[in-house]
Amino acid sequence: MAKAKNQKSLILLNDVSEAIKAEHLLKAKKLDIKVVAPPVEIRIGCDLAIETELLDSYEAKKILEAYKIKPIKIIPLSSTQLEPTDIIKKVDFGDYLMIKAGHMKLSFNKTTGEIVNISGGGCSDIPFLALRMVGNSLIKTEKPEDLGCTLCAYMLQKAYEEAVRSYRRV
Amino acid sequence: MLTIIGTVPLKGMPLTLGSCKFSNGKLKVDDLELPLINGTSVMIAAAVTTSGSLGIKTPQAILAGDTGSGDGSNLIYRFLRDQKCSLHASSNQEIFALHYIKPNILYIKEAVKRLKRKPNAILVADAGAMYVAKAAGIAKEFDLFTPDLGEMAFLADPEAVHPAYVRNYLFENANDVDSLIKQAYEYSNASNFLLVKGAIDYVVDRATVVAKVVEPSVAALEPIGGTGDSLSGIVSSLIDSGLDIKHAAIIAAKTNRLMGKYSNPNPSTKVWEMLSNIPKALQEAKTVSTLG
Repeated sequence: MAKAKNQKSLILLNDVSEAIKAEHLLKAKKLDIKVVAPPVEIRIGCDLAIETELLDSYEAKKILEAYKIKPIKIIPLSSTQLEPTDIIKKVDFGDYLMIKAGHMKLSFNKTTGEIVNISGGGCSDIPFLALRMVGNSLIKTEKPEDLGCTLCAYMLQKAYEEAVRSYRRV
Repeated sequence: MLTIIGTVPLKGMPLTLGSCKFSNGKLKVDDLELPLINGTSVMIAAAVTTSGSLGIKTPQAILAGDTGSGDGSNLIYRFLRDQKCSLHASSNQEIFALHYIKPNILYIKEAVKRLKRKPNAILVADAGAMYVAKAAGIAKEFDLFTPDLGEMAFLADPEAVHPAYVRNYLFENANDVDSLIKQAYEYSNASNFLLVKGAIDYVVDRATVVAKVVEPSVAALEPIGGTGDSLSGIVSSLIDSGLDIKHAAIIAAKTNRLMGKYSNPNPSTKVWEMLSNIPKALQEAKTVSTLG
C-alpha cells in the first residue's frame, strides 16, 4: 500500500557527526530522507537534522538506535527546511582534477588517485582532515564521514564521493 | 599587537597563549611545535613571515586543539568571554584575527562583546569565525572579513547559517560578486571592510568596491589548500604595521598573488612551500601599490 506523502518529520541529532552517519544508514535502508538545517530556534550554527516522511520516522528511529545513534527528538514539520547545497563542479588542471562541493574543494592526481590538496571550509575539523587525507590514495584514505564532525566535513564528503566516482571513470 | 585566535588539529591540546615563531619550516607557539597544515597554522606562519619582513613585533596566538568535536573551540570561546579587559583608552591598536573555530552562535556573541570593550580593537575574521559571526548577526562588529566567492554567497544569503546551506541560485551567482556584496551589506551580514578573494580580488569599504586586484593571475592557486589562510595572515600583519585596512587589503591581495607567481605552483604544491616567497612578494606589492 502506498504511504501517505508530504507529511514530514524532523529527526534531531546530537551533532553533525551523528547526522552524517544517520544519512548514510537511512539511505542504505532506502528510506526517503534528506539532511536539512534544524529549526532556527535550536540552531547553533554548525548542525544538521534529518528530514523524513512522518510515516517513516519510527522506522528511522529504530534503525538509528540499532547503530547506537539516539535521536534527541522527532518533531512534525509543516514548512520547508534549508538544505545543504548540492552543487558539484569539476575543474580540470591537466594531470589533476579539482572537485568542488559547495565551498569545499578536493584535488587529486588523475593517474595515481593521490589526494594532493583540500581547500576551503572553516570548521575545526578541516585542517585535521587535510592532515589525514592529503598524500593518500582516494581509494585507501580515511573518509570525511568517518573522521569529521562538522558541516564543512559533510560537504567535503560530497566532494570526496564525486572524486572517487571521477577517478574510477578515468 | 596582532593576536591570532583559532584551533589547530592537535587532539587534547590545551588552551595555549604565546608568541609565535616560524623558521626553517618549523612553527612554534609558546615553544609548542604545531603541524604545518591549512588553517590557523598557515595563517600564523604567513603572519610571522610578513611581520618579520615589515620589521614589526611578531604576533601572538591564542590556540587550542580541536579535531571537530568543538572541545578546543569551546576553550577559546570561554577564554575570550572571561577576559578582564581594561576599559582605559590605549594608544596602541590591538588586532584580533579570529580564524578556524567550530561555529557556536551563543558563544561568539559573548566573546566578541568582551573583545569590543577594548577601545582600539580591530576585529578580523576568516573561516569558521567569519561563518559564526554572520550566523550570529554580529558581522557589523567586525572590521574585516576575507571570504572567497562561495563564502561571499553565504554572506549574501540572509537565511544561511553556514556556507553549506547557501541556496543554489546564490551559489550559481558566485561570479556576480557586485550583487553578492550589495546583498550582504543590505542584510547587515558583512564587516566594515571585505577582502573578497577569487579570480579577481575585491576590496570593499562599507558596500563600495574601492579596488580590484587581478594580477598576477595564477590559476593553480585555487586548488591549493591554505592560500586563503596565507592571505589572512598577510593582511592582519599589514594592519598591525599601521596601514589602514583598505591599503592593507590591497597590498595583501597583491602579495599573496605574487607569492604564488614566484612559487610556480601546480595543484599538488603545498601552501607552506610558498611562504618563503612572501618577503620578495611583499616588497614588490608595496612598490607597485605606491606607484599605483
